[in-house]
Amino acid sequence: MELAVSTEELVKIYEGKVRALDGVSLSVEPGKSFALLGPNGAGKTTLMRILTTQIRPTSGKASVFGFDVVHEGSEVRKLISYVPQEMSVWTDISGYENLLIYSKIFGIPRGERERVIEEVLEHMGLIDVKDDLVRTYSGGMIRRLEIACAMLIKPKIMFLDEPTIGLDPGARKSVWERLNIFKREHGVTIFFNTHYMDEADLYSDEIAIINRGRIVARGTAEELKRSLGGEMITLEMRGNYNQEIIQELRSLSSVLDVVSEDGRLSILVRDAESTLPQLIDLVRNWASVGRISINKPTLDDVFLKYAGERLEGRGRIGEIVHVRRMIRRG
Amino acid sequence: MEALRNMLVMIELELRRLWHDRTEIYSRAVQPILWLAVYGPVMGRVRGIPTSVPYTDFITPGVMIQSTTFVSIFYGLMIVWERDSGILKKLLVTPASRYSMVIGRSMASGVRALFQALIILPVALIIGVHFIPNPAHFILAFTIIFLSSGGFAAVSVLIASFMKTRERFMGIGQAIVMPLFFASNALYPIQMMPPILREFSSINPLSYVVDAVRGLLITGELSNIILDIVAIAIFDTIMFVAASLSFRRIIE
Repeated sequence: MELAVSTEELVKIYEGKVRALDGVSLSVEPGKSFALLGPNGAGKTTLMRILTTQIRPTSGKASVFGFDVVHEGSEVRKLISYVPQEMSVWTDISGYENLLIYSKIFGIPRGERERVIEEVLEHMGLIDVKDDLVRTYSGGMIRRLEIACAMLIKPKIMFLDEPTIGLDPGARKSVWERLNIFKREHGVTIFFNTHYMDEADLYSDEIAIINRGRIVARGTAEELKRSLGGEMITLEMRGNYNQEIIQELRSLSSVLDVVSEDGRLSILVRDAESTLPQLIDLVRNWASVGRISINKPTLDDVFLKYAGERLEGRGRIGEIVHVRRMIRRG
Repeated sequence: MEALRNMLVMIELELRRLWHDRTEIYSRAVQPILWLAVYGPVMGRVRGIPTSVPYTDFITPGVMIQSTTFVSIFYGLMIVWERDSGILKKLLVTPASRYSMVIGRSMASGVRALFQALIILPVALIIGVHFIPNPAHFILAFTIIFLSSGGFAAVSVLIASFMKTRERFMGIGQAIVMPLFFASNALYPIQMMPPILREFSSINPLSYVVDAVRGLLITGELSNIILDIVAIAIFDTIMFVAASLSFRRIIE
């Protein structure tokens, strides 16, 4: 079967220094929704820009539906549509006019334009505001319009770079529900970047976790969580503690892994209830514990395990900066 | 064919934008009107500049073209802005070819420039500038303005590909238009210039545009018109090619 996306040992080095991608090998099956999950700066956007033929890889190979992204870029561009992370519609004309201009650029025949535009407006719930200037739209409406542009041609694959960044939960849900209907109706493959774990969890068939230019894990959300093989006990420590405690904890037979960061010990165990008393006894010898929480594994824990750091902390600050930038530019 | 289609789409986009917001056209008309209404009559009284027609009439084409050139050069600014936003990225991922995008966008600036030139006409008439009342001359003159604006817009795309921020580009834009304007025949005949400036003026595309438009609209002196058109065509071609080649730089 022909793969929707396939990459082999993809490397991208910017200006001879920054190693944005460090040997990425991936494959995505057609008709699936594929999430590339990672913090800002992990290389998600770089990978997507290579796959959409905007930039060339430094080395390695990538293809979309069998077409090489470097040598057969024009073939690739006929099959794909793309929604960049930044705002990509003209704000000084109406939503309908944006779609009209894009439909002409895509070369949709004159006779079909009106129907196709009505269809995507309907689908993305923008019929009522189609003649308003985009300047007056909310963030969610702008995102829906951008996705509507990407739906004008029925692409074989849609590339969405952080499709719901900066949107409130209601708007995010609405965007994804509509995307999923479109995907089901037209058998479109969706390849999206995100740093929201719940988004990857809820809306993808498969996830690859990327960190510092490398794919560190991949599988369905369930597989990834199961791969942790246990539950997470988090101890919030009072004051400083000796790093040797980690070695001690690791030596316990019921402990699978330990990560220490920001005054917290995250301990992965097979069974939390039976291990906890033993843990507490051991930790008391070293330091005092403020709070204890027990969690079923989340994708964040998966990320923590494979990337050795947490996704959230870094992501949030980056996001605020990014959203600000979007507002300023908009 | 594809290039032509994209050009028309980009022109349509510009017309739609203009339709929604015309303030820029009006605000940009202020400066040329000052040249015609204040500078022209005052300098005309000095009678220091030998021209075959009244001085204000003489500078009208130059002022018009300076104004359209500004519009075209700052069009590159819009492309830098589009690079900052995601529009350019999205356009480059469509099946449309890069070179048709560059030419399309450049020519679209010609539309803005045309409106800019047109708005100066009634003002010039009120001030009392005499135009040659020949529709064919007007059509040819405005076609020349349209095409040369495309070339200047390509210049700005080229510069935009080196400038990665808007702020930097603002300064450069000024630094290009004003020298082109002053070192051309827009305000005074080339014969009056010191030899070095005269040399520069002969490779200044603005001079050829001004010469052609002045001949067509004001003086009726058309002996150089073929040379002018050929010079503009060469300028356009070189700039379109250079801008298309450097376009990749804008997105990376």
